[in-house]
Order: sequence, then C-alpha cells, then structure tokens
Amino acid sequence: MRKLGIAALGAAAALTLAGCASGGEAAPEEGAEIRVWLVGTDTPDAAREYLVETFEEEHPGSTLVIEEQSWDGLVDRLTTSLSGSDSPDVVEVGNTQASAFTSAGAFLDLTEYYDELGGDDLLPGFVEAGSYDGRFYAAPLYSGSRLVFYKKDALAAAGLSVPTTLDEYIANGEALAAANPGKSGIWWPGQDWYNALPYIWENGGEVAVPDGDQWDAQLSSPDSVAGLEQVQQVMTTASRAPKDANETSPEVGFCDGTTLQLSAPSWVKWSILAPADAEAPGCPDQEENLGVYALPGIDGGAAQVFAGGSNVGVSAKSAHPELAVDALKIILSDGFQTIYGENGLVPAKLSLADTLGADEVAQAIAAAAGNAKLTPASPKWADVEAAGILQDLFVEIAQGGDVQALAEAADEEIEAILNS
Amino acid sequence: MTTVDTTGPDLAPSAGEGRRPAPPRPTRAGRPRDPRARRARRGGLTPYALLTPALIVLALIVGWPLVQLVVTSFQEFGRAQVFGAPPAWVWFENYADVLTDPVFHGVLVRSLAFAAACVVTTMLFGTLVALMMTRLTKFFRMLLSIGMLLAWAMPALTATVVWGWMFDTAYGVVNHVLVNWFGLAEYFQHSWLIDPLSFFLVAGLIIVWGAVPFVAFTLYAGLTQVPDEVLEAAQLDGAGGVARFRLIVFPYLKPIFLIVTILQIIWDLRVFTQIFALQDIGGIRALTSTLGVYIYQTSIAGGDFGHGGAIAVITAILLMSISIFYIRHLAKEEEL
Amino acid sequence: MTRTRLATVAYSAVSIVLFAFFVFPVYWMVNTSLQPNNEIRGSDLHFWPDNLTLRNYETVLFDPGRTPFLPAAGNSLTVTVLTVVIALVFAFLASVAVTRFRFASRRAFIITILVVQMIPGEAMIVSVFRVIDGWHLLNTIAGLTLVYVATVLPFTIWTLRGFVNGVPVELEEAAMIDGCSRAGAFWRVTFPLLAPGLVATGVFGFIQAWNEFIMALVLNARPEMMTLPVWLRTFLVANGTTNWAGLMAGSTLMAIPVIVFFLVVQGRMTSGLVSGAVKG
Repeated sequence: MRKLGIAALGAAAALTLAGCASGGEAAPEEGAEIRVWLVGTDTPDAAREYLVETFEEEHPGSTLVIEEQSWDGLVDRLTTSLSGSDSPDVVEVGNTQASAFTSAGAFLDLTEYYDELGGDDLLPGFVEAGSYDGRFYAAPLYSGSRLVFYKKDALAAAGLSVPTTLDEYIANGEALAAANPGKSGIWWPGQDWYNALPYIWENGGEVAVPDGDQWDAQLSSPDSVAGLEQVQQVMTTASRAPKDANETSPEVGFCDGTTLQLSAPSWVKWSILAPADAEAPGCPDQEENLGVYALPGIDGGAAQVFAGGSNVGVSAKSAHPELAVDALKIILSDGFQTIYGENGLVPAKLSLADTLGADEVAQAIAAAAGNAKLTPASPKWADVEAAGILQDLFVEIAQGGDVQALAEAADEEIEAILNS
Repeated sequence: MTTVDTTGPDLAPSAGEGRRPAPPRPTRAGRPRDPRARRARRGGLTPYALLTPALIVLALIVGWPLVQLVVTSFQEFGRAQVFGAPPAWVWFENYADVLTDPVFHGVLVRSLAFAAACVVTTMLFGTLVALMMTRLTKFFRMLLSIGMLLAWAMPALTATVVWGWMFDTAYGVVNHVLVNWFGLAEYFQHSWLIDPLSFFLVAGLIIVWGAVPFVAFTLYAGLTQVPDEVLEAAQLDGAGGVARFRLIVFPYLKPIFLIVTILQIIWDLRVFTQIFALQDIGGIRALTSTLGVYIYQTSIAGGDFGHGGAIAVITAILLMSISIFYIRHLAKEEEL
Repeated sequence: MTRTRLATVAYSAVSIVLFAFFVFPVYWMVNTSLQPNNEIRGSDLHFWPDNLTLRNYETVLFDPGRTPFLPAAGNSLTVTVLTVVIALVFAFLASVAVTRFRFASRRAFIITILVVQMIPGEAMIVSVFRVIDGWHLLNTIAGLTLVYVATVLPFTIWTLRGFVNGVPVELEEAAMIDGCSRAGAFWRVTFPLLAPGLVATGVFGFIQAWNEFIMALVLNARPEMMTLPVWLRTFLVANGTTNWAGLMAGSTLMAIPVIVFFLVVQGRMTSGLVSGAVKG
C-alpha cells in the first residue's frame, strides 16, 4: 500500500493544483506524450482524429498517440502495463472488466472530476461499473447494444414476420433453418456467450447474485436452466455455425448467404456493408435486404440484453496525470461522444441519445439500450471472463451436452473464482 | 555436400557427447586419446572471471525473479498486490489448494500424457526418418532435407496459425479434402478443435511436425559417424536389421538419444506457444490447457499470482524429478 | 540386386510422401497468402493461386490502419542479432571455464544450468517485468535483449560445452610446445575448430529470440516496439474478422528470414565439418 499511497497522494496534489486549469491554458508540461489505449475497432476514425486534434490544439507542444489494442488478452496486458513505469496514460477497458482494475488501485481517483466529466448525465450502469468503494475511477466510454440483423427476403420467403416475443424469435429461426437446409436461421457460434445472457435473464434467471460477502452462481437454477435449454435449442436446431467458433466475422456468412439471421453488436452493420473488395470484405449490395430489430423479450417488448461497452480511466502511474485527465475530458466531451452516436454506438451521456438518429437501427438500439443489463458487479468477474468459463460452457451446450450438469459445473467454477 | 550433412551438426548438444564413444584415435603424440585422461587445470580466478558475464545475466533475469516466484507462491498475491498493496503470507495454503484442486490434476495428467505421446511419436518418427536417410540416394536425401528444413524453420506461432487454418472448420483444406476427395460427408464443417482429444491430435501433429526435423537431423549426423566397417561386419555375421540397430548402431547413438529425449521431454512438458495460439483459434480452454498455459491463465489472465507461483514451483520440481536420472548421469560424468 | 533396387525405389517413394508432409503446410501458407481474401473463404478451394494477387502483402506491409510490419521486423532483427552475439560470447567464455578448468563450484554450475531450463518461464513474467521496469528498460531493445540472452544462455552454455569438450586438449598442448601461450594456443587452435559449434548454438539462439512472444508481448507493449510474433498475433486476435489471407502473408514474411538464415548458415557448417579436425 505504501507505494500506491504515495503515488496517489502525489497525483491528487498535482490534480488539485491543475484542477482549475481549463483547456485554453498552456499545458503545464510542454512536449509530453500522452498514450491512449483504445480497444478494438469500435471507436470510429473520425473520433480518433477529433481526439488527437483537439488535444494537440489545447496543449501545443504535447502529442497524443492512440495505440489500438485487441480485446483478446486485454486483461493480461493491462495487469502488467498499468503497473509499470512506462504505463499508458488513458486506457479503455471493457465495462465488465473495469472492476478488476478499479479495485486494485490501477486507476487514478476521478471522483473530483465526476461533475466536470458529465456528472449524472453519464450512463448510470457504467458509472457503477467504474466505481469502487464509493470512489469514481473509470468513466463510461460508450455502450453498444446487440441487435438482430436479418435478410428481409429470407424472412418473407418463409412467410414469417419480425418476431414480437422470444419464443416467436426462436420458432422463426428454426423455421428458417428448416426451410433452407445448410443455412443458419439464427447464426450462433458456440463461444458467443454474450448472446445467451438475454435467454437467462428473460426466463428470470441470473448468472450470479451477491449473498452477503459471497457470490452465489445461479446458472443451474431452474429459471436459468430453462433459458439455457432455449439456448441449446437455438444452437442445435437453428444455427449451422461452428459449435466451437467465436463470434468474429459474422458478416462472412451473411454475405455468402449461409446466415439468414444473427444477433450481434450494432456496429456489425458496417462490417456487413463494407466494400466487397475490402480487407474484410462485406456485401454492400445487401443494403436493401438488411433488416434489423431489437431482440424481443419473453413477454414482448425488448429483451434484457447484455449492455456491452467500455469504460475509460487514467492510469495511476501516468507520468502526466493532468494531461491525461484533460484527454479524458475531451473523450467525454459532447463533440467526441456525438461521433459515437452517429456511428451507431450509444454515447456515454444520456443527453446525447438522440445523436443515434431516428432510423430503424437507431430505434432498435434505443429499445435495446433501454432494457440493458450487466454481468455480476464483482472485481473478480473479469477473471471469470479471462478463464473462458462461459465460452467453454456454451461450446458444450452447443454440442448438445446435459444442460443441468454443465450449468452446475460452471456454477462451481464461477463461485470458486468470485469467492476466492 | 547436401543439406543433410550441413544441418547435421545441429545435433548441437550431441556433437560432443555423441563422439565420445567413438573408438580411440591416435593423436599427434601417438597415444590413444582417452577423454577420461583429459587434463583440466586449476586456473585460480580465471574460470570465475570467464563465468562472470553469464552469471550476472542469469542472476538478474533468472535468479532474482525465481526468488520472487518462490516468495510469491507463499503469499496471497493478487492484482492489488501488483499495484502495490502489501501481500499477506499464507505459507503452504497455495500449495495445498493447488494439490487438492481437481482442475490442476486434470491439467497435470493431460500435460504428462500429451508430452509422453509427443515425445514417443517424435523420437520414433525421427529415428525412422534418420535411418531412412542413410539409405536414400543423394537426390532424395536432399529433397527430404529441404522439406524438413522448411518445417523446422517455421516459427512455432506461424506453424500453429497455418495448421489452424488448414484444420479450419468452414474453410480448411483438411475438411475439404476429406469431403470432396474421399467422400467422407461427416467431415463437412467438422470441428477439429472442439473435442479435447481431437484438439490434442492437431496440437500434437503441429509439435511432431516441427520437432521431427531436429531429431532426424541430429540422429542422422550421429549415424554417419558409425563406421561403415562395423556395420558391414555385422551384416556379414548375418545380423538382421533390428538386431543390427539394437546391438551396433544404438550403442553409438545412445548419448545422442539420451540428450535429444531429455530435450524433447523438457520442451514438450513446457509447451506453450502451440497450445496458447491454438486456443485462440478454437477449442475449449478448460479442457485443453497444459501446465504452461494453465500457469499463464492463473497468473496473468486470472490475476492470482500466488497460486500461479505454486503451480510453477510444482511444475519445476516435477520436471526435475523426471530428468533426475539424467542429471545424476551428468553429475557422475562431471566428477571425472 | 533387384531387392536392393526395389528397396531404393520404396525408400524414394516414402521420402516423397514425407517431403509432402513437411512441405505442404508451408506451401499452403504461401498459396493462401497469394489469393484474394474473399476467394479463400469461398466454397471452392484453390490449390494454387490461379487468381494471383499481392494485395495481402501490400495490406500487411503498408496498410496505415495496422501496426506496420517493417518496424516490427526491424525490432525483431535487432533483438535477435544482439541476443545471438551476446549469448554466444558469454556462453563461449562460460563453456571454456567449465571444460578447461577445474574449480570448486563447477559441477554445481553445470547442474544449475540444466535445472534452470525446467522452470516454466510463463510463471516469471511478472517478476521479470518488474526487474526490467526497475531499470526503466520497458519498451526498449536493450530490455528485451537482456531477457532473451538470459533465456538462451543455459542451453547455449550447455551445448557449447559439448563442442569444447570435443576438441582434444592435446591439440592446444601441442601448439604450446610450438611456443604459443596458453591463451594463444586456445585462440589459434581450439577456437577455429569450434566454428561449427558456434554456428549450431547460434541457430538455436536465433530461433528462440525470433519466435519468442509472451515476454515480448508483456515487455514491449508499445506498437512501435513490437516484435514480429506479437505483430503477427495482432492479426490472429484482431477485432471483428480474422483476415486469414493477411495472416498467411504475415506468417510468410515472418518465416522467410529464418529460412534464409538456415540456408546461409548451412554452408558454414559444411565447411566446418569437412575440415575434419573435429570429426577426428
């Protein structure tokens, strides 16, 4: 604790001094380089440019470098990188992974900037994910909902319409698969556990619930099992996706015609509509045929889907904490966040929801985001993800394994990690 | 001179050892050279001075972290400790946890079985290829050598990626050939990595494919040193192929065999890259992790360095006890 | 006679099958890398690149959206060459010490060298990270080189020891009779005979340093300091789509230097071997 205490104190002191310095002033440290880790390709290029340009304009002489990281192995890399002296200054982290770092003292305490960064306008679920012990460490970055994409002609040919309940959705998927041998009525590779969460939640189940200071894993509860059985039904009868593949490249099957429906993050629309000769080729000719809706719930309305998304924090070891916080302010500015909205991602601020637009996708996003839910709020949840327990579980479910037994085994593993 | 002979000396470790059992040869002084009679000197401080650079590097990058590893294995050491929180001492609790954890048992059994399968297959296959190389005409020997050289030169990560692509469920060449050339329809979209046994079959294939060239080249280089007269004499006496190998060739190659086998055991038990990268491509992590990958998952990905450290120490002890007979052999030799 | 001939034909046939087994993955890698990305995902397989394109290489080498290949290759090459050179020098000195001298802790040293190789490196990542960080050598060539030298040293010393052992000490003594100093005798007589041994161990160090990726992943996280394996993995775990054609192009580019190195080194080994003195 010694080391951390001193570092935190020093940083806090520096911050108090710089607290009143607003963007227009000359940077306190000339020639500094701020390194920002953005994960994945979700953040649009326009937003990246906006961040670099705005920052360098406000801080002449300093530079901001964006280093793109991959989601895979992110927790591993953050564990080491953030603890080193050459730490990146601002880092994006998955909302479900954030607590592993906020609880460990890896991030700078941002409590005093809470209001300046957006205050109660920030997405509440994500503020919660980025807080620990009553302190605010990691701000929301963006949220992405999962939507169902479908081929309009295939649905019409099978005489089906957009489903209004979860059961109808499943029945549609099975009907499509039956009517089109070899094709996926609902494309669902085995490792894609995010998509399974709505089934659990809609049936009244949970992944894990707090029980005193312990966690009680709930996957084998009757409600959860009912949901998992539905998952198995879809995976075995409606999906022709590889049982052990992960959810990358959904556009490939959609474009070659073997996928008729799939549930995926909203930005997948841009993967599908990418130019046909791109590095990751899409099929822009399908634009007219591409339909989208929010996953329906068990009693109609939008289902409780997984609220994927990211938080963003400042490394406790940042060499230039004031500049890093300034960069964070730009990231949470309306200008930057609007670009997310325009690109189909839910901005970090509630007041910017209308930047999503008013088209079909936007409405579906709004419907889904209104009913989004998070994974268990434990600092150890990131370790459950890193251990791949859920991926493994659904790969086995996809192969037709005994759901009850598999769920019990997974519960045991999850509890072992959450309560260790 | 073909590629074969040139790669031969790669028998690196064996080069010296392999030669030792060779018949005594006259030196300039005209007396038989007996390695046992080699006179080593006491050189005062000179040997220590010669060792210093290596010792410094090893102490800093291996020694000190090793001490830390052992210390950590007795502590509750999580992510918070990485960021500066003081660790609590739990002494043997981590070891007790690990040793009674059925998951660890699974990993251990899996690693041992997988390594054993890989070592046996590699040695057998490598020996056969080496023996065959002595019978080939120059052209075919060169051809085979080039093929093995390419396989050998492939970085482990690259090799895993390429094999992973060949075994790809939807677009892999293996499934394509099985379905379209052999009419095995059940291999359409067959997933090779989902079943743990099949996962290890692919992983083993990648490892054996990459390791056989080393073994074959090394043994072939050793074989070329078995004097022709000895073999011919054996042939005249009517010894059959197997007997000839066992009675005459094998004793010559024994030191090489020993060292190559030990290396294969160490490498295969510590296998990391192939499994780690293959898990990126597909397969069930919990059912396919081997010791190295499990240590990584527990420590770095799982943020539990205490248990990770305990697993690492246990693994090291295990490796040492497996190779103890070799260490003792070596120790005896060093006494000379 | 016919039996021998038959055997020769059979062996030749088997060697062709084996050749195919060893070469096919390499061929498939190159073949895939030369096809358009949308074609390799088609329902037909192309057993050779009939629709030849260098586009994947272009993407890999010059696409501004990716961490570029050339700096990563430069880092890898620098680290690898430094590692091989430093490890060989250090290991050479150490192996001379353990073979040509007798001293108190000689046995302990040799056994330590062997035992060190049995410790799983994955477990020490964080400790090593802290040591390197303590010297502010994260994201530097020097830091990574230091770690790689330590990684390959034990094996290198052990191996070279065998080679030095193989050179009869009598040769040196003879040279000393001819008026050389002890060091001079070693340098003039023994050292040249060790060339093949140095090359062989150098190959090992090269492979190790060129291929290692877990330490590189952790120690050199800055994109401009990446090595090739880390760079290649960014393709494999890329977000969204696995670009197999690009991945194969990257793999090819990463494998080429090793293959070239092997081919170059071979000539040297031949001459060393043929000189005969070592062979005896």
